[in-house]
Amino acid sequence: MIEKRVVLVDGVAGYWGGRVAERLLTEPDLHVIGLDTKPPQQGSGIDFIQADMRNTLLVELLKEEKVHTYVHLAFLDSKRPSETAFEFNVMGTMKVLSACAEAGVKRVILKSSTLIYGAQPGNSAFLREDHPLNAKRNFGALRDLIEIENFCTGFRSQSPEVQLTVLRFAHILGPTVDSPLVQFLRDDTAPMLLGFDPVVQIVHEEDVVNALVYATIYDVPGTYNIAAQGAMPLSKLTGLAGKFAVPVFHPIAYLGESFLGSQFTPIDFDYFRYSCVGDLQRMRDDLEFKPAYLAEDAVREFAALRKHIAETPALTPQEAEEERLRAVIERRKNIRQQVTSGGPSRPQPRGRPEADIVAESADNNLYEEKSQ
Amino acid sequence: MTEPKKITRRRTRTRSAGAVPVELKAPSGDGEGKVKKALASIAEISVSPPEPSVEKTMPEPNGSSVAAASEQESPVDQLQQQLVQELNDLINRLKELSPAFSPPQIPGAQGLIEAAQGIVGKTNFEKIRSVAGDLLDIDTWKGAWFIANQTAQFQANTLQRRLHGEYETDEWGMDLEVLEAVAPFFEFLYRKYWRVTTTGLERVPGTGRALFVVNHSGQLPFDGAMLASAIRLEHPNNRLVRTMFASWFPTLPFVSPLFVKCGQVTATEDNGIRLLENDELVSVFPEGIKGVGKLYKDRYQLVRFGRGGFIRMALKTQTPILPVAVVGAEETYMSLAKSDLIAKIIGFPYFPITPTFPWLGLLGVIPMPTKWSIDIGEPIPMDGYGPKADQNLMLVSQLTDQVRGAVQKLINDRLAQRKSVFRG
Repeated sequence: MIEKRVVLVDGVAGYWGGRVAERLLTEPDLHVIGLDTKPPQQGSGIDFIQADMRNTLLVELLKEEKVHTYVHLAFLDSKRPSETAFEFNVMGTMKVLSACAEAGVKRVILKSSTLIYGAQPGNSAFLREDHPLNAKRNFGALRDLIEIENFCTGFRSQSPEVQLTVLRFAHILGPTVDSPLVQFLRDDTAPMLLGFDPVVQIVHEEDVVNALVYATIYDVPGTYNIAAQGAMPLSKLTGLAGKFAVPVFHPIAYLGESFLGSQFTPIDFDYFRYSCVGDLQRMRDDLEFKPAYLAEDAVREFAALRKHIAETPALTPQEAEEERLRAVIERRKNIRQQVTSGGPSRPQPRGRPEADIVAESADNNLYEEKSQ
Repeated sequence: MTEPKKITRRRTRTRSAGAVPVELKAPSGDGEGKVKKALASIAEISVSPPEPSVEKTMPEPNGSSVAAASEQESPVDQLQQQLVQELNDLINRLKELSPAFSPPQIPGAQGLIEAAQGIVGKTNFEKIRSVAGDLLDIDTWKGAWFIANQTAQFQANTLQRRLHGEYETDEWGMDLEVLEAVAPFFEFLYRKYWRVTTTGLERVPGTGRALFVVNHSGQLPFDGAMLASAIRLEHPNNRLVRTMFASWFPTLPFVSPLFVKCGQVTATEDNGIRLLENDELVSVFPEGIKGVGKLYKDRYQLVRFGRGGFIRMALKTQTPILPVAVVGAEETYMSLAKSDLIAKIIGFPYFPITPTFPWLGLLGVIPMPTKWSIDIGEPIPMDGYGPKADQNLMLVSQLTDQVRGAVQKLINDRLAQRKSVFRG
């Protein structure tokens, strides 16, 4: 029997870790290990280990399990720069990377953001991966990402045997994710700046998962910007998404931000003033990755779903409780069926439901047609 | 697409209604609108043999056609009667089909006409009517109202559509709808206000890349817009010019989105190379902010040409450079001094003091209607320097000086020919 490649995903209890692990489980020649401090909510098929990635024994674990690829997705999102988040994100990543180098892990995948280039008046319309990381450091998550990426630059030269893939994603949009852009579009009072309309770039949550899985499966070291085709002006984005953004004169907005702190808005005002768009040439030519969603389609899908949610009546607490219990019963039933049919020792590669695959291929066709 | 079509169709309908002989009204009585409808449908189907008479009577204005009709010989008369008969039949059939229909009434219109007749007398009223023609015809005003209404509705729809994000931009953020909307203003400036004459348009390639290197002047960057207008309006291929603007402009509200939507881009080497690789026309103003904010006493003297970024762009993409001299823009504002203090306070790179600004407020911003000329010089080829030529500092600075000299020569030639600032 051919030995399966061992992939360790940390942060599986989190949103991205959970989704990427779920998708990796469908790959037949991978053995997926999940790592987190608390068990994942629906990781029925995953080989789960409950531990903190900052544990000094991580090296032992990686050696013992012969981990080939480490997908580092544990990340504490914080608006305000906080010591706890910094300790977890930056120090955690440093520990993970050094443990990987020590244990002979071949590949490490990191998730980052194109926003770390910073929105600045002198920006080119398309920023290449070698653009300096100029983002303001008042947003916790971005500050941590810059620290991490700066550490990565040094790590690449120190440990060239570890192939590091850093994927920088644009604003993430989608029906289930809770990203700053989604918060901005959902929040009816979140303002934008009067008389500014920068070009913004987005990426669908599905494509984020796709890209992370793609980078895990294929051998693609390096740093890449990942975003959907078709960057659009902010006003077009809010218009399509059906959000009414109150325009605020920019000196007032910045004054408000300095008084009320950075969580005044989900996204820093600079990103509503200047464009910060990644150049996608490396994604197309070197990574050869093609996002399934066009930017406009992603926004339309989001808007349609938002409208749908607004029109369906909210569940009463009792109904919500019933729904929750029904989901738990279903899940337990599924697990029991798996135990009786397959056996608990080996994680079952779960095939994706057929409807999903059909939908995806339809999307791809759509993309083909539009791009021609 | 359907909106404008509707308008033109309706317009012809009302026009032809104005030209209908008066006899038609008698049999139908209240069916004024129906006559029009019927006539419109007739015009579309084009029934019956008597085509020559139809052609004769239709295009003629109201009063004269009545007179002409009475002088016609009998066969034509017969044909006309036949036509009227057919029309009336048609009207009756229409009436049967929709008995509930009544034409839209304008309240008080009939009363107004009667009152007017009472005041000026019936014969005088008819005289006025024959002179004023269509203007006194209620249908003219109905048509005008309809068209105005449609236009307003179309514009409201456009606005609403744009508010809902239903518009297209290219990857740079250029929006052709916005460009079309502002183009008439710049066309006015180009043709009427500054009466720009452009020479050397034949040196601008019909397809493929080229880099305009232009002197900068005039306090407000109208020179870029005028060069772009020149190529858009006068070049046989009506090409679009991408003007590169200084990185200070993106900090300005309203100005920065307008620039971007009109297809302009921030002046960075990456942007320029990308545009030139897409075979576009790019214009750069290497003097930058220092050039545009020149004092009046320093007019037409080129300042330092940046750091040679435009030469590197051209060398890397092997793009021919077209030196351009804009003459006339320097005199649009007479900058006597610059206030560093005010500039610092409001965050502008410079704040000009002219005889009218800031004393007259916004009135002082109106530029002088000087006579402009744009001269496009011989292209300077940038290929043949081999690869990595853009990293050769000596070559870059040499070529920068060469281009700067070419632009200065074009300016001097034009200034020597010019007799008057306002008449050229």
